[in-house]
Amino acid sequence: MKRSKTAALLLMSTAPLLLTACDRNESREGLYTSVEACVAQTNDRDTCQQAFAKAEQDAVATAPRFASREACEANYGKEQCAERNDGANHSFFGPLMTGFFLSQMMRNGAAMNGFNSAPAFRDSNGGWQRPAAGAGAGGVYRGGAGTAMVPVNATPNRAVTVSRSGFGRSGSSRSFGG
Amino acid sequence: MRRVACAARPDWRAKAAECGFGFHTIDDAPYWDESAYYAFSLRQIEQDIEAPSEELHAMALDMVERIVGSERHMQQLAIPEPYRDWIAQSWRQRDPHLYGRLDFAYDGSGPAKLYELNYDTPTSLFEAAFFQWQWLEDQLARGQLPAGSDQFNSIQESLVEALGTIARGIARPFHFAAVRDSAEDQGTVAYLRDCALQAGIDCGLLAIEDIGLSEDGRFTDLDDQVIGCLFKLYPLEDLFRESFGAYLPRAGMQLIEPPWKALLSNKGILPLLWEAHPGHPNLLPAAFDDGGELPRGWVRKPLHSREGANVAMRLDDGRTLATSGPYDGPCIRQACHPLSAFDGHHPLLGSWVVGDRACGLGIREDSTLITQDSARFVPHAIVEEARGVLIA
Repeated sequence: MKRSKTAALLLMSTAPLLLTACDRNESREGLYTSVEACVAQTNDRDTCQQAFAKAEQDAVATAPRFASREACEANYGKEQCAERNDGANHSFFGPLMTGFFLSQMMRNGAAMNGFNSAPAFRDSNGGWQRPAAGAGAGGVYRGGAGTAMVPVNATPNRAVTVSRSGFGRSGSSRSFGG
Repeated sequence: MRRVACAARPDWRAKAAECGFGFHTIDDAPYWDESAYYAFSLRQIEQDIEAPSEELHAMALDMVERIVGSERHMQQLAIPEPYRDWIAQSWRQRDPHLYGRLDFAYDGSGPAKLYELNYDTPTSLFEAAFFQWQWLEDQLARGQLPAGSDQFNSIQESLVEALGTIARGIARPFHFAAVRDSAEDQGTVAYLRDCALQAGIDCGLLAIEDIGLSEDGRFTDLDDQVIGCLFKLYPLEDLFRESFGAYLPRAGMQLIEPPWKALLSNKGILPLLWEAHPGHPNLLPAAFDDGGELPRGWVRKPLHSREGANVAMRLDDGRTLATSGPYDGPCIRQACHPLSAFDGHHPLLGSWVVGDRACGLGIREDSTLITQDSARFVPHAIVEEARGVLIA
């Protein structure tokens, strides 16, 4: 079959639709520069060690790839890059893992079984990055050389607005799309 | 491929109202038209549309890699200088993209020919992904289509899957934005937001005009929250030249479609693709326009024209067709490959790519060779081929 098996609408439809309220479990996520820092925060050495090990393993596969050490160091800073091999005798350069993320679901204040972890890299401006979700994972997106890296946003998220209406002047848009 | 007359569902207007499809009639002219449908064989869909779409999509992404490394190409595409590094950076960090539409001339025989890529603000999404799907299900149920008919359309499934895949990489708060007074654009973003909610992503709606700017050059929503990620159904090149545009490269706001899509929603990609893949069966010869007289058998299009505006076409017999519109600036030329006529209608095939997967088709037909905003959306079906000639 070449068509969607089902196509439903949640909000656009005027037909009544029962939404089940889901359990809103909290999650805990942290960025740690070492297993020790992780333990200090979570008091869970096993998980921290496993998360670190998995992140280190993933780092080789998901780190951005550069053809030369210079290109890598331009993005990640001096001495922050290493030569790697993809297993098929192609070598490239990638940044060293400088930290790792650990996220766990929490229930009633206690961490549940299982965790997600990901390597973190620090760019030459001091900003933290992590590989994008689904990187090289197939599905809708094709894998391929070079993984998406997303910045980790640590800036405060409220700001005083001083003006509006700076976008939209080109107006409407039956003129778009063709 | 055939155009088949077909009785419309008697209640289609009520169905449209039920699902919030308000723009089925635009300025009193019909836009959604189910008095006919286009019938394809599975082979036509898979070999002539789906496979070339995936191949051209991959070629286009490879081309982005080449353009971001070339000041000359950036210049050819008329990318404003202040945005070039930002665009290149958005590609290098592979800022996630969601969708695009390839427009093909195709009549069932010979290779489909690419007219252009609509990779930044492709519209006609809701009608292709949802309302067309519902039409097929309803007409199957009513016995108006041959049993077992199908449709090349997993667009909605793919959208939900794609949004779910990139969910973790979408900065929050996440807003879908379009021009406030455009019913069609508002309908399209409402639909995309619906898909995002189905993927479990918390997100809101915002009018493009309501985006705010903070003192320190960041973009805010109406609650003064700094916008993490903005899905904008608004051309990147328009954002660039408006008064807030200069803040984009440093504001830290994630965009979907991402800045690197400015390289693909630009008709300059067509000569570059032709140069890299001369003679490709799905490409038409193309070149950057030098401003001279248009020879017979060529079409001139501005880099940024949409909805068939400002296109000039010089047919083989010397006749010239031209459309008016607001676009000027540099142009490209493309070999003229006129759309075939089906009962006097000229269908243009919009092949949807979500994530990197070709996943559906939407057809718009016009009474003229240049498909404009007057074109109507006509559904399609995949119908079993008649089994050859019987040998008695």
